[in-house]
Amino acid sequence: METLLNVAHGFGVALAPVNLLYCFVGVFIGTLVGVLPGIGPISAMSLLLPVTLSGTPESGIIMMAGIYYGSMYGGSTTSILVNIPGEAASVVTCIDGHEMAKQGRAGPALGIAAFGSFIAGTFALIALMLVAPKLASVAIAFGPAEYFSLMVLGLVVLTFLTQGSMAKALLMACIGVVLGLVGLDSITAMPRLTFGRLELIDGIGLVPVVMGLFGIAEVLLNTEQVIKRDVISTRITHLLPNKADWKASAGPVSRGTILGFFLGILPGGGAVISSFASYALEKRLSKHPERFGKGAIEGVAGPESANNAAAGGAFIPLMTLGIPPNVVMALLLGAFVIHGLQPGPLLITQNPGLFWGIVASMYIGNLMLLVLNLPMIGMWVQLLKLPYNVLFPLIILFTIIGVYCSSNNVFDVYVMIAFGVIGYFMRKLGYEPAPLVLAFVLGPMLENNLRKSLILSQGDLMTFVQRPISAACLALALALLIGPLLPALRRKRELVALDEGA
Amino acid sequence: MMPRYNRLMFAAAAIAMLMATHAAAQDYPTKPITLIVPWPAGGSTDISMRAIADSASKILGQPIAIDNKAGGGGTVGPATMAAAAKPDGYTIAQIPITVFRLPLMQEVSWDPAKDFSYIVHLTGYTFGVTTSAEGPFKTWQDVIDFAKKNPGKVTYATPGAGTSLHIGMEQIAALAGIKLTQVPFKGGAETNAAVLGQHTMLQADSTGWRPLVDAGKLRLLMVWTAARSPNYPDVPTLKELGYPMVYDSPFGVAGPKGMDPKIVAKLHDAFKKAIEDPAVIATLAKYDMVPNYKNTEDYKKFVVEVTASERKVIESLGLAKKTN
Repeated sequence: METLLNVAHGFGVALAPVNLLYCFVGVFIGTLVGVLPGIGPISAMSLLLPVTLSGTPESGIIMMAGIYYGSMYGGSTTSILVNIPGEAASVVTCIDGHEMAKQGRAGPALGIAAFGSFIAGTFALIALMLVAPKLASVAIAFGPAEYFSLMVLGLVVLTFLTQGSMAKALLMACIGVVLGLVGLDSITAMPRLTFGRLELIDGIGLVPVVMGLFGIAEVLLNTEQVIKRDVISTRITHLLPNKADWKASAGPVSRGTILGFFLGILPGGGAVISSFASYALEKRLSKHPERFGKGAIEGVAGPESANNAAAGGAFIPLMTLGIPPNVVMALLLGAFVIHGLQPGPLLITQNPGLFWGIVASMYIGNLMLLVLNLPMIGMWVQLLKLPYNVLFPLIILFTIIGVYCSSNNVFDVYVMIAFGVIGYFMRKLGYEPAPLVLAFVLGPMLENNLRKSLILSQGDLMTFVQRPISAACLALALALLIGPLLPALRRKRELVALDEGA
Repeated sequence: MMPRYNRLMFAAAAIAMLMATHAAAQDYPTKPITLIVPWPAGGSTDISMRAIADSASKILGQPIAIDNKAGGGGTVGPATMAAAAKPDGYTIAQIPITVFRLPLMQEVSWDPAKDFSYIVHLTGYTFGVTTSAEGPFKTWQDVIDFAKKNPGKVTYATPGAGTSLHIGMEQIAALAGIKLTQVPFKGGAETNAAVLGQHTMLQADSTGWRPLVDAGKLRLLMVWTAARSPNYPDVPTLKELGYPMVYDSPFGVAGPKGMDPKIVAKLHDAFKKAIEDPAVIATLAKYDMVPNYKNTEDYKKFVVEVTASERKVIESLGLAKKTN
């Protein structure tokens, strides 16, 4: 009952005209930032942080939050239309989303991404209202040993990402891990693999790698096959998901939501990992895993729901413990403190209006995003009809601007171009970029947490099996690895093998 | 041979370029400035620098974008800037004390005496050691008693190897005759989670722990300032516990070497005004920080002094870099 009163109070705050305006501005900017490749929510939010100072704390934080979850909506658009992820959490959406677009089903892909995001966002908010304080303990239950095992589990996901040869996928993953190690070692601060190049001390950025491997490589590849293009522009029959699409997507959306929500609570890249994990889960559960990579709507619905639910889950450790689980949340923490508020265990009781107001505004913001995004699907699909000689230079222009903006560093533009060329040859030779990106993200976290847990356990490897969460993650990873080898699952394995041969 | 008018053109162009550089310093800043904060967003340094930068940007008339380049105990950001950024005043960095300390401990890519244009000294931190409220330690003496019985078993989370927290804890351990094990994390958000989840027994960090201590989730065992914190009058200082030290890691901002003195002066004035801004002072106070202003010249002298005193501590702890 008390919760209901609080929720009502929260909507009172969120529905104030000025807060509605800030909320709309936030989600609108977020959508734009998500759509533009390279420009992520982080750069947008840090540039707009000063703007929030002028209003009340509620309106400022409502706007910042809007940018964040708005970008999660927008990020899928370019993934689906032109095979360029708007931000890192949408990398996996490229695999099946763009394939759907090629088959003339860009509308349903965009539609299910928007609906899935809405459903996941709504669920995450309801969970945030009801159980936020209780789930705070989840965030701190993960120490270095647990993270290490979670990363191991994450790397197993690799085996589900590939449509081609497993050996090639593992090779790409190894390269990804090595690339992730470039830069100063996070434990001893010694430079590694920098070859004396000072630009590399800071490591290779995720944004230029992703933009190069997906964006530039896609453009290079498509300049060779102009004829295929007609397929995309002619057969756009319906813009929204049909009954069969919904039936196929219901399971992925709900599983992706729950997975994303829990991974989002954990500090460290929850949205990215959850989108990859959801894709792997759906492929594993599917009766027709061979459809994945060839335009399966499940491969869009699951990850897109997961990354939005993760965006909601990420608010829990911030609001209840004052611990920001990712850089975006840390920026929000900054906004709180500038307004004289200290997120932490006392925030909800001391400032109920603020907490419930923000939560309610996120619900309204999600509705706005749905209304904003559905009519735009038609417009985005029209974009595909742009002739390539107009579209491609534009894509290259936006990726260069985006990469340059994210770091203000010309070196990153060179890195992107280099990875574009590498990505082109990789595709030509049947190597896929997604395993490389996943390993690039997880590799350094895996190493860092392995070393920290070994410092904590004084070199005892048993720590990974003695701690229950860690042991469970490792067991699950092992099961996923050897599962396909067991006779009972032989049938599925054969399908996967067929898939590999394709 | 160059035709005459071409030479004239060349001379005119050269003069125009000279004037343009001059005008660049006069008009500075004409575009947003990037301030590198070498810590993850959301920690006490990040939030205080954001408040200072926000106030300074109003004075300069251009936005200051914060770029969080974390890692290497706060050295990655300044080192990257020293190596790659142009000294045009559009890239500056917060300079934590590790920029002076790490070169004493290992081979690094920068020379703190040569590679930076120091601009202004701003403030310092309040450090403290916390433990989980559910843990067994009630006082610092409890930690010592436990550590004496279990050498090396007491673990503490720091925001990075070679940070003041790491050096300070090792010095305390040496004086107390105990052995502690450091676990380096990447800033306050991570150390908070580590000690709260009891993954490490202790946390040594700046006051990012404050909301958790106020809520009774963490127990503050000691502070490293000269006097007790007005917010925690019951918590002893290092000196009171018998360790004759004060650790507050003072910091300022600097740009790459070779900055135009006019631009340095403009930045200095803006940041000086910023730390006099009551709103900034109020934000700093949330982390028990107080402005500690030093002008450009005094800051340069301070860098020499602090390097000398750090060298002494590092050598006494046996952490100095091996010179061949």
